[in-house]
Order: sequence, then structure tokens, then C-alpha cells
Amino acid sequence: MATLPTPASGGTDLPPELQNELRTFEAVGRDVSLYDLLGVAPDADGGTIRRAYLDRSRRYHPDAWFRKNVGEFGPLLSRAFQKLSAAYQVLSDEDARTAYDQVLKKRLSQRERDAMDRRALSREEQERRQREGRERLLRTKGFARIGAAHKLYEEALELALNGERAQAIAALKAARELDPRRGEIAQKLTELEREAARSRSQLALKGGREQEEKGDLPAALKTYSQSLQMDPTNAAAAAAAARCATALGDHQQASTFAARAVEIAPDDVETRFLLASAFLTLGLKVKARAELTRVLQAKADHKEARALLKRV
Amino acid sequence: MAEPVIGIDLGTTNSVVATVQSGTPVVIPNRSGYRLTPSVVAIAKNGKRLVGALARRQAVTNAERTVVSVKRLMGRKWSSRSTQEALARLPYTVVPHDKERDDLLIQLGDTTCSPPEISAMVLAELRLDAEAFLGKPVTKAVITVPAYFNDSQRNATKDAGRIAGLDVIRIINEPTSASLAYGFGKQIGEKQICVFDLGGGTFDFTVLHMYKGVFEVEATGGDSLLGGDDFDNRVVDWLAQPFLEKHGIDLRKDKMSLQRLRDAAEKAKCELSSTQQMEINLPFIATARGAGPLHLQVTLARPQLEVLTRDLVDRCLGVCEQVMAEAKVKPTQLGDVLLVGGQTRMPLIQARVRHLFGREPSKAVNPDEAVAVGAAIQGAMLMHQEQEMLLLDVTPHSLGIAIAGGFFQSIIPKNTTVPTSAHHVFITVKDDQTSAKITVLQGESEIAAQNELLGEFMMTGLRKAKRGEVDIDVIFDISADGIVSVSALDVQTGLRQSITVTASSGLTEDEIKTAAKANEEWMLGQKEDPEFQKHKARAEEVLRQFDELWPRLKQAAADGLGNEPVQRAEAALSVARLQIQQKESAGLASSIDRLERMLGALRGAVERGLVSPRGGSS
Repeated sequence: MATLPTPASGGTDLPPELQNELRTFEAVGRDVSLYDLLGVAPDADGGTIRRAYLDRSRRYHPDAWFRKNVGEFGPLLSRAFQKLSAAYQVLSDEDARTAYDQVLKKRLSQRERDAMDRRALSREEQERRQREGRERLLRTKGFARIGAAHKLYEEALELALNGERAQAIAALKAARELDPRRGEIAQKLTELEREAARSRSQLALKGGREQEEKGDLPAALKTYSQSLQMDPTNAAAAAAAARCATALGDHQQASTFAARAVEIAPDDVETRFLLASAFLTLGLKVKARAELTRVLQAKADHKEARALLKRV
Repeated sequence: MAEPVIGIDLGTTNSVVATVQSGTPVVIPNRSGYRLTPSVVAIAKNGKRLVGALARRQAVTNAERTVVSVKRLMGRKWSSRSTQEALARLPYTVVPHDKERDDLLIQLGDTTCSPPEISAMVLAELRLDAEAFLGKPVTKAVITVPAYFNDSQRNATKDAGRIAGLDVIRIINEPTSASLAYGFGKQIGEKQICVFDLGGGTFDFTVLHMYKGVFEVEATGGDSLLGGDDFDNRVVDWLAQPFLEKHGIDLRKDKMSLQRLRDAAEKAKCELSSTQQMEINLPFIATARGAGPLHLQVTLARPQLEVLTRDLVDRCLGVCEQVMAEAKVKPTQLGDVLLVGGQTRMPLIQARVRHLFGREPSKAVNPDEAVAVGAAIQGAMLMHQEQEMLLLDVTPHSLGIAIAGGFFQSIIPKNTTVPTSAHHVFITVKDDQTSAKITVLQGESEIAAQNELLGEFMMTGLRKAKRGEVDIDVIFDISADGIVSVSALDVQTGLRQSITVTASSGLTEDEIKTAAKANEEWMLGQKEDPEFQKHKARAEEVLRQFDELWPRLKQAAADGLGNEPVQRAEAALSVARLQIQQKESAGLASSIDRLERMLGALRGAVERGLVSPRGGSS
């Protein structure tokens, strides 16, 4: 899509080596991994990835060359930075990174695959060692356990900060075992688990939307319903599932999902209208009327609802 | 020397201007010598435009022609709930303007002005201050806005800068700006900090990560209708309500008494940051039917103020917790807490912040000046690239479009680092569809109607085909200062249409040009002619001599000279000060003559007093 600028351009103050780097960046396609883009190893931890991103930002952020005559390299600079920041966005989120790793693995060289396995292995190894250590500690008593729990807790916070959510959860679980009475441990654990579920749910919702857009409604419905299971408070997933079920003619399911959606988000007039229509198709006139009345209460000029209410 | 660039903190109640001079940030005092300029604009009875302290001082007697807190109306729609809430509290008149644009105008004397034009008057004043300080023309500026400002509000601020004849090279977020002031000149390896910014009208909370001169905003959030003004209003209500019950008069209904109440409330609030109680005394505040004048005299204690405003502080802390959750950070993990904005001087706020974060807030930055200083640093960073610093800011709201069923589909999620771009492919939904409407929204609700409408545009001239066969690729861009632009591309034909989503309550290009021209003329009129400069220098010398004499004069007044001559002198001095500000050359000349005669007479009187039995006590 983009055409490369011809080399040896005179109209810019950017150093020649940066010009070359930018051309390389521009040509970077999907075959270059996000790890390579940021210049980190596939088994790098969250902190390393972040520092690599910030270091590269200093060179490629358009503001770093604000007053310079960037000439035709302006858009390239902006796109280079955006590629970096998009890569960081993925690699700094535990779930997105795991999903990306799975895709990446399929087209990796053996060496890189090994590195990635090492990351998984070292995690497993770490967890195993931690487990053993904990078991030892569990046999000890008193302050040592509380101290160890606190250490694990702090470690977990650090991990969570670096986007290593799964590891943070493991550490917190261990901490809870050591010191079950410490409220902040349980609290942070619930918080992280909920966050993980929410993030998985959002990922599924996105996948569902893509399927829906492609027209694969049965698959989309399934994905939406999974998304709702992962996070029962995801109103968008419930509403989307209801929409798909309606389109597929499954009004029983549509009414269940729509009812859930409006329970979470009572202001969602459109889904409530959908619920009313589903009730009506199922022959539940009283329920349909109640929902239609509520639709009109929220939005008096809802023409379809008014028409439907008249018919009932 | 390189072209100067200034940083402006355009606040709700006060504004500050700063610059970087040979590598050191400095706050520029205004031409009256103060570092804070009230963000107040007025048209005096004689038709003159007053800005800053002078406008503020006459606000009580000229409430209807004095505009305060205009920032609360920037980029807002007339019909929005927040506008209507703000209006109930403002002592001047605001009228709806264009029905289509849903914007508003402020009545100022015989004319009406848009909020950006009023802000431009404050900016023009600051620009003149900077030019007087630097001794050369200034056109380049960085202006700050609350992080939570949306696209319309940012555009309105940018327009205000253009009207004031400034080339606004960047709009940056206030908390981020404050962190630049904090990080400037320090050797910081890696640190995570937060900025708690409670200004006159807005509250912002931001978590930042600093690494070798790169300032990365991790998450930001706030409330654009929560600030020091709201604390004042609580005190105003506390004063007015018992008065209403006792005398049946609502002091908030009368614009002049409301202004006096607001002044007294603000003063009391500020005093109570250092004292435990404060007497509020407002004589002749109203006249009761048949009962003569009424006075208001009460004592406000600090605990009472805290009870009145506790829920406002709670709201701030709620925002903090939400933002920290988004940044996945615990309060006690943060390396430092910066307090910014005058309202953070309140002891209750400091105590609650200390409690939440488990540490003493940083005293490294001045809460009033840090934002302007940071803006100046960012300006210098961009223009001169002297400092090895870089700011990675984020977009505070999700950006997306309305999709079928009244839903909102987010395309660029909030807290995404800017500049950024994203695209989304639409397909036609009807056979032979030749146009498509694209509704661009900003906000966090899943329901489209609950988000802020940035703009709508029609993609026309689509090729005729069966439904689903035409792909439209819509590209969203957010620039480094958070301004949004959208373009659409018909994938098959390559037909491209682009719009910059202009703020719906913003001004048209022509309106900005006209206003900018008017401002240009006004600024030319402000340039001092040599004769006036001569008078001004003389006047300042006389004023200085009066200042020196003043303590002895007070003593002499107490010792039998009487108050009358002192009061006469005071009046003459304030006339002269006003003439300096308004550049009335001829008037000032005669004032000086009068003052010099007075000075001679009073000096004589004081010296005679010295030999009198009581004066010569030593």
C-alpha cells in the first residue's frame, strides 16, 4: 500500500542512519515478530519489554524531531512509532501476549521456538520451585510464614505491574496458602482473577464481533456466550449474543441473553426492545408489554416500540 | 538567541505564563508584578476591556459585565446538562447561539462573545506580559488543558490561542505538564509517580512512569466539573441558606451580592487552610423591605468547612482509585505523589491523600506554577530540543463509532499512547447504496447515545453494487496533542474523503479569523507610546515614594493628622493605578501632578508630626 521514498533524498535533516532505519521499519511486514520490532528476546520479562519500548520511543517518536525538517519521512516516523507502541500494547498484556505467542509459534524458527519454550519452562520451573519452597514453609511456623507470604505478595504486585498477570495470580495463591488471614492478599487475588476473566471476556467479545461481521452467526453466538460466561457482567457480550440469536431465529435463547443484558445495563433501550420482540414471538404477551412500556419510559419517541405496543 | 516559546496554564480561576531562559524555567510575572493572573475578563463602564486582577477587583460592582470561570464553558454544548448546571452558578448572562451547532455565547456589555474569544482575551494579556518580560515578540506557545478535556474542549482552547495571535504548537495535559516540572533537571532512573491535580474547575488524576527522561502516561482520568469553585459554592450556600430562612431573601439571586458572597467564600476557604476559624463579615449585603439594611456576619470554622465539602473530596479519591485500577498499580507502590492546583492546599485533602497513598505528598513543585512551568519545558523541548526529555501521553477517552442497534464500537481504546491511528472496514448494508453516514463518538459507554458526539460525516459517491460488496475503510487518527481526524477510503475505487472532526461547538474558520483580526488591533492599541512610558515611569516613582511614606503616614494619622488626608491619597493612588493599566496618558499626567503635590504636603505633615509630643516617643 505505501510506497517507499526513494533513497538519497536531500530534503530532510534526519541523520542518514535514521533514514535507513525508517525505511526498514516501513518495509516491516507481518513476518517480523513484535519481539524483533522492540529488539527483545521472546523470553524477555515485562520490565525489559517496557524499557526497550521507552528507549526506542526516544528515537522514533515524532516529537523527538519536532523542529527538524523531516520532509517525506514525517509519515514514516509516525508510523514507525505507532508500530512500536502497538507492539508494546500487545506484549505488555499477559493475555494478549500469550495469544500472540501461540500465533507466532507456528511460523518461528526452531531457535526462537526454543526461547519461547524456555520462557514457559522457566515459568513452570519457577512455579515448581516456589511450590516446593512453600511446602517447606508450610511445615514451619509463625513469623517465617507470614514474612514469606508478604514477600510473595510484594512479588505479585511487581509482577502485576509488569503485566505478568498469570504469574502474579500464582504467587498470590501461594501467599494466601501461607497466610490465609491476610485480607489484602485475598483481595488482590480476587481483583486480579476478575481482571483476567474480564480481559479474556473482552478478547472473546472481539473475536465474536469479527465472526459476526464475516457473517458466521452460529460461531459468533457461541463465542459471545463464552465471553459472557467468562465475565457475567459483560453487558455488551449479552446484548451481542441476543442480537445473534434473534438473527438466527432462536427466540428462546435471544430472550435469555437479552434479559441478562438489560439486567446488567438497564439503560440499553435497543436490547430491551429486542427482548420485548422475543417475548412476543414466544407468545409471552404480558412480559412483552411490560418491557415495551419500559422502553417507552426511557425513550418516548421509540417508534417501533410504540407500534409494537399498539399491536399487543 | 532562539525564538522564545511560552507555556501557559490557562486555569479556571487563575492563569500562569512561564518560559525557559538559558536552560532554566522561569515564571513570568505580569505587568503588575504578580505571578498569577486571574482568568477574569470584564468590560468596564467606559467600554474598556479589563483583564486579570483589575477585572476581578471590579467584579462586585460590575458583576453582569464580568466573566469568570469561562473554562467551564469551553467547547460545551448549550443543551448539555453540565452547561445548564454551570449556568446556575455564573453571575453573567449566557445565551444559546446557533441551533445547528448547539453552541453558546456570553453577554458582555453590548456585545456577545464565544468562550474561546473570552479565553483569547486572557491569553492576549499573558502574551503582552511575556513580550514585556522578554522584550521581544512572542508567538509560539504551549497551552495546557485538563487531561479529561475531550476533543471539542481541546479544539476550543486551540482556537482561543489562534485568536490571541499565538501559534499553539501543542496542547498538553495539565497533570503531565506538572510531572515535567517535577522531573526537569533531576537524574531519575526509573520511577512511577502520580499527579493529583485539583484546580479551580477541574479534577485530574494521572499515573506516570518515568524512565531516563521519557515520561510515559499510564492512565489518566478525572472529572471536568469538579474543582475549587465547587468548594466555594458550598460555602456560598452555607452562607445564603440561613439568610434566606431568616430574612426571606436569597442572596444568590442578586448578581452583585452573589459576587460578594463568592469572594468572601473563597477568601474564607483559603484562610482556613492555615487558620482554624475565620470571620466572614459582609455589611449592607441586602435591604429588607421596611427594615433597612441587613448585614451578614458569621464565623466559619475549619471542621465546618470540611463537613460541607467532604463528599467533593470523596469524589476525587474515587477517581484516584479507578485510575490506579486501570494502571494496575496500588497506591502504596507509587514513588511520589504530586499535588497540583491551589485547592490541594486544603488540609483535609492533604490528610486524605496522605492516608490513601501512605506517604507524605511531594513538595518538589509549586502547586500554582508547576503546570505552566511544565508547559514551558515542553515548549523548549519541542522547539529547541535542548533537553533529553520526551513525553508519551495518552488519549483520555475511547474513540469509536455508532454501529447498528445504537451501540458504540470503540476503535481506539482510552489510555492509548498518542499519536495513534486505527482503521475499521465498513460494508454497505443496502443494494446500490451510494452514501454512508459515519458517526464519530468519544466516551466509555456501550450505548452510542450516552457518548460525546464529535461529528458525523457522509461518505458519498460510493460505487453502485450489491449490498456487502463495497468496503469502506475508515481511518481514525489522534495527533500528539489529542486532536482527532478521520478519513474514509472506498477500498475498490480508491476514492478518499477526509474530515477533521471539528468541535461541534467550535468556531468556524471565518469566525476565528475575524476575531483574531480584532484582537490584533486591540493589541496594537496596547503597545505603549513613548509619552505614556515617560508618564508611567514618573508615576511609578511617585507610587514608590508613597509606599515608603505609608507606615509613617498611618502613624501620623493615628497621632492626630486624621484619616481624611490618608483616604484622599488612597483614592488618588488607585485612580493612578487604573490609569496605568488602561494607558490613559493624559489623565495619568494630571494625576501625577496631583499626587506630587499631595506627597509634598503629607511629607511635611508627617515631619511636623515627628516633633509633636506623642510622635517623638524616643
